[in-house]
Amino acid sequence: MMDFSDPRRQHPLGMAILAVQFMVNLSRAAWPALIPFVFSAKLDRSALVWVALGVGTLVALALAGAVAHYWRFQYRLEDSALVVTKGVFQRERLQIPLEKIQAIHLFQGPIQQVFGLTGLRVDTAGSSGNELQLVAVSKAEASALQGLLAGRFNADPSHAEEEEEAEQSASNTGYAGQPLVDLNASQLFKVGLTQNHLRNAFVGLALFASVGNPLEEVIRTALDTIPPAALLVLSALSVLLFVPGLLLFLLSGVFISLAVTLFKYFRFRSALGKEGVQIEMGLLRRNVFQVPFSKIHLTTWQSRWASRLMGFETLQIRQAQASDQPGAAMRVFVPAMGSKNRKVVEQILYSDLAEPPHFQLRPVRRLRWLIWLASWVPSLLLLGARSNLATGVAIVLWLCFTGYTSIRRYRSLKLRVHKDTVVIHKGWFWQKRHLIKMSQLQGIQWRRHLLLERRGVGHLTFHTAAGPKAFTYLKKDEALALRDFALNQLHVARHKKHLLETQKGRGQVVAE
Amino acid sequence: MEVQPNSPVNCDNLPQIDTVDLVPVDLNYRKMRLMSWGMAQGVLLILILSPVLASLLGWIEYPSIRFWWIPLCFQALVAGIWFLEEWKGFARRGYAIRERDVTYQTGWMVRNTTTIPYVMIQHSELSQGPVSRWLGINHIKLFTAGGSGNLRIAGIQEDRAQELRAIIEARAGKA
Repeated sequence: MMDFSDPRRQHPLGMAILAVQFMVNLSRAAWPALIPFVFSAKLDRSALVWVALGVGTLVALALAGAVAHYWRFQYRLEDSALVVTKGVFQRERLQIPLEKIQAIHLFQGPIQQVFGLTGLRVDTAGSSGNELQLVAVSKAEASALQGLLAGRFNADPSHAEEEEEAEQSASNTGYAGQPLVDLNASQLFKVGLTQNHLRNAFVGLALFASVGNPLEEVIRTALDTIPPAALLVLSALSVLLFVPGLLLFLLSGVFISLAVTLFKYFRFRSALGKEGVQIEMGLLRRNVFQVPFSKIHLTTWQSRWASRLMGFETLQIRQAQASDQPGAAMRVFVPAMGSKNRKVVEQILYSDLAEPPHFQLRPVRRLRWLIWLASWVPSLLLLGARSNLATGVAIVLWLCFTGYTSIRRYRSLKLRVHKDTVVIHKGWFWQKRHLIKMSQLQGIQWRRHLLLERRGVGHLTFHTAAGPKAFTYLKKDEALALRDFALNQLHVARHKKHLLETQKGRGQVVAE
Repeated sequence: MEVQPNSPVNCDNLPQIDTVDLVPVDLNYRKMRLMSWGMAQGVLLILILSPVLASLLGWIEYPSIRFWWIPLCFQALVAGIWFLEEWKGFARRGYAIRERDVTYQTGWMVRNTTTIPYVMIQHSELSQGPVSRWLGINHIKLFTAGGSGNLRIAGIQEDRAQELRAIIEARAGKA
């Protein structure tokens, strides 16, 4: 076992990685100053000297910064906290209490992969700037540190009974246990095919527009050489180019999806252990996530039409978010979850789902009309702009289509409440299912405006550490009964945990 | 494997928040809210009337002076609705302290009832600006993990607020 009680530095190669990081950051900061150089075109000898000097200073600064940063950065493990001293000009001493640690992630960029090193990131709840990142530690050191930290921040008495149970099956220890989803090449391809191609196509278009700007000049000069008569023919032909253009646009979306998936999910491995889930993925930057079960605050199962065809969903695991940045919750995705995997995960995280639910609620039926009415707005605007037969037909078709989708959407909205878990179903084409444990609720909000109050309708918001999730247009009596039930279950669960803790505490006293 | 005891939950017999009487917040808080209402209206009035006045005095050219009453009517409408919200909303404002959670209700037009269990409160904060100090009231802010459930109970009498905070702090983080 390694000893982390003495202050220690990172691996010396960390200096190289830090230098590269600093260089990237510096050139990012200095890049507006570089624009004139790029566009001044005429690079004579003196300008070249200046450029070389500039680049030289940049490299020297980055190197010096990296060495200083490396030298001053020390960490050690105290009884109940990870202590870090760092800072070159301004000394900083960070103390991270172990119980505040949400998760420990290992990551390997290209440099780390070459030298067999790994980076380690410690995520904490609450304060955003309080996280710790080591860029280079040896793999043995990282796993030892990870084991030490994980062992301590998981000292959660509510898992006491499960621990005993799990100890019997010796193979199932820590995070590396039963494999969950491992992606091979064909599965990776399938995951790529089920991404949002339209969005990716637009991302590609935006990227092309920003990077390909200089191309405009080239195209313009090329067009200038074409005789005007040919240009006329070309512009007439451009109408015909619409369909292939659209096809190219969509194909580029598919291509980008596949590429992004390859980089993100390359050699995806995941496993369920007794304490948490471990996920490993990535091509250039390999990430290893270890998320303890007790720190999972929200899970979302999402699927698109295409992924349902292939029989899988994507699981999104969310942990507590830093309080000052909404939406900054730590999230990890597990793609290609089949129904078998889903059952395994749900059995571990939400064992009460097997029993029939206590509540099964739907929004008031009026919501169907509200959803449909929202789609009237564009058609009314269109009618105002021009009214002829064609627009009339288009509007009727549009209203029929949105009528159908409104009904489907309304039917998809379901709220199921089991003994310990709230399940929110949303969407029919893009389906989402949010699962929240009532014992982890941070608060419940009942919200309505004057008109809704008159009709006895309102919205219920479940506040979790990973952000709020709302279910709207519920009947008042049902919603309030649900609120009381959820609070009661929360208090019962917390009280049980408290009892276990005190029992365990007494046990320790007796043992001593 | 030991089967977990599965005691039935009687959904009809749970403690209900709706039956708990809310404690109204301090009347001085209404004074404070109405003062801020008055101040906002005053500033708006000056903004609307100053060009009219300036053109009457011949300082500037204000071509649409004939329609000076339109923004004024609009402002009166907004002020009226806002006042109604403050007046009616204040009567609905209140908090309830139960053994294990705290509930706060606000609003007349947009109504919110938020409940936070003490066990989830990470820390609390008492705040007081110059005006609220003069009026002798305090605001309590309760922070939960993730920040989306944070609750601000505004306008409580000073010593009452201290008591409330002591209760909450004593129970925060404990089941």
